[in-house]
Amino acid sequence: MAAVAFAAWRVRATAAPQPPEDKKVIITGGGQRFAVPDCLPRAGDEASREACRTLTQVLRNDLRFEGLFQFVPESLFAALPPLNPESPNFEDWRSVGANILVIMRAQVTAGELSVETRVFSVDGRQVMLSKRYSGRAENPRVFAHQASDDIVALTQYRGVARTKIAFTSDRDATKDKRAVKELYIVDYDGYNPRRITVNNSLNILPAWSPDGRALAYVSYRQGTPSVFVAHIYEGRSDNVTKNEGQSFAPSFSPDGKRIAYSSTRSGGSEIWVANADGSGAHRITSSAGINTAPTWSPTGQEIAFTSDRAGTPQIYLMDSEGLNIRRLTTVGNWNDAPAWNPSKEYSEIAYTARLEAGGFDIAVIDLASRQVRQVTAGRGSCEYPSWAPNGRHLVFSCQRGRGATWQIAVADREGRNVDTLAAGAGNNVQPDWGP
Amino acid sequence: MKRRIVPLVVLAGVLLVGCHPKRPPAVLTDPGRTAREHPPATATPEEQPINEGPDIRPLGRDNPTGEDFSVNDQSGENGPLEDVHFDYDKAELSDQARAVLEKHALWLQNHRQAKVTVEGHCDERGTVDYNLALGDKRARAASEYLVSLGVAGDRLRTVSYGKEKPLDPAANEHAWSRNRRAHFVVSR
Repeated sequence: MAAVAFAAWRVRATAAPQPPEDKKVIITGGGQRFAVPDCLPRAGDEASREACRTLTQVLRNDLRFEGLFQFVPESLFAALPPLNPESPNFEDWRSVGANILVIMRAQVTAGELSVETRVFSVDGRQVMLSKRYSGRAENPRVFAHQASDDIVALTQYRGVARTKIAFTSDRDATKDKRAVKELYIVDYDGYNPRRITVNNSLNILPAWSPDGRALAYVSYRQGTPSVFVAHIYEGRSDNVTKNEGQSFAPSFSPDGKRIAYSSTRSGGSEIWVANADGSGAHRITSSAGINTAPTWSPTGQEIAFTSDRAGTPQIYLMDSEGLNIRRLTTVGNWNDAPAWNPSKEYSEIAYTARLEAGGFDIAVIDLASRQVRQVTAGRGSCEYPSWAPNGRHLVFSCQRGRGATWQIAVADREGRNVDTLAAGAGNNVQPDWGP
Repeated sequence: MKRRIVPLVVLAGVLLVGCHPKRPPAVLTDPGRTAREHPPATATPEEQPINEGPDIRPLGRDNPTGEDFSVNDQSGENGPLEDVHFDYDKAELSDQARAVLEKHALWLQNHRQAKVTVEGHCDERGTVDYNLALGDKRARAASEYLVSLGVAGDRLRTVSYGKEKPLDPAANEHAWSRNRRAHFVVSR
């Protein structure tokens, strides 16, 4: 798979006017192997060394996670002569099989962290990328995430290291208010948890706006489950469906201008579409039974949703005005929570499927071939998939066994490298991967 | 009309979830007030008589369930109206569920100021989105049956909690069957 990714690998770094200088480089062909030696502290103080340790670990983790690159084992670095960061000896790095060398240097001065990242083509003996970051030293991880994303930007893909995942958790529920769930966001790797809602009510089903500045979600804070939009950087939240019926499962259109959701406003559970502020709401399905869980296609012209119109919950497709409805899933008797891959490169929908008796698993259906591939297996029950913005990874929630807590997990789109995020205490469910 | 949840009912419902059933019965209204609220022989339009049926007759004033609410031990939540239960992945009312709802209709006939939020709940063995819709179906099924029995629709509202608010967090058949329910929260 990495080879496929590399077949189309191109590096384009725009030249910066001042040193350290970026040169326009284009690399084609597969088999690129990265060497990421330890970050070099520019000063011997403990703060700089500690920052470097974190930067090294996080950058390696970020780059590995993307699944785009191969890596020279770090154990081979020890045999090499000391690295000269100003002028690396490319022969040394070629001897351990590296094609790409990433050098990080860092220093903490008066609470300010400054990080320099340089990426070299070992074969071309030149700088492909040179960036300097500086800011407050509290969270060195974000510097490494930025560096990783800048490196991945040299490929055809957008990195996910700076992306965030929203979810809901009962971690702050108390014994006398067990039904409290609040929204939280974490970095894509589970670090840096932050609580979003503080209303001591039931807040569920978070859905990012495409610009990453707002979360749509369902709150019971006024008694009726209603769609709210939280402007998370302004600390403001608006009830956009205004308690007109019960509303669930909000989903922003790819341009951020509309929200699809399910509502009982006209009786049964139907799909509605409104402007992002809730105005202009109109119903786009009308069938007896259940219609819910809308998800937009990358173009915004189609919507997939769950309906039990044929007796069991199945995934259906329609255009965004509710016409041309056709059934998508035919395997299994319980399919729900469709998530359309946001990348136009992959025409596929992830969903929650009961493929075997008992628990649920994450599955992906290819829209052209209708072939289903199972992403999770043997992990207890997993549900509620959401795609990374670049469409290369999935996040979902799994319960290992009966009575175990629900945990957020990530996997690549083929279902490899499933990893549970240490996203904090409690039952962590309904993840949504944001920009 | 401003709705106010009766404090004792709420207090009991919040504090006694899953607790030992030794507790005083909740009282919605004092007996004198309830007595004044009993429907006159010829009902006004907003006080419609419930449908005549074999199981439905007005409760006498000396009937204990008419004055002192029965404690809903089945759900562990202190309320006058016991839960109605459903089969797995179903929102259809069983004969047993109908019988319970007929009792509720009778109670509502005798407590004309009472308003009810019908909550629909599901067990954990379903998906989040679908369960929220299924919970709504259950709440509506219960609510619509009450309306068919003559309870004014504007006294009822439905809220689905899907699998978000299980009564019994255990993961076994007993807990699941308790969690598949319509739950009735009375206010006035």
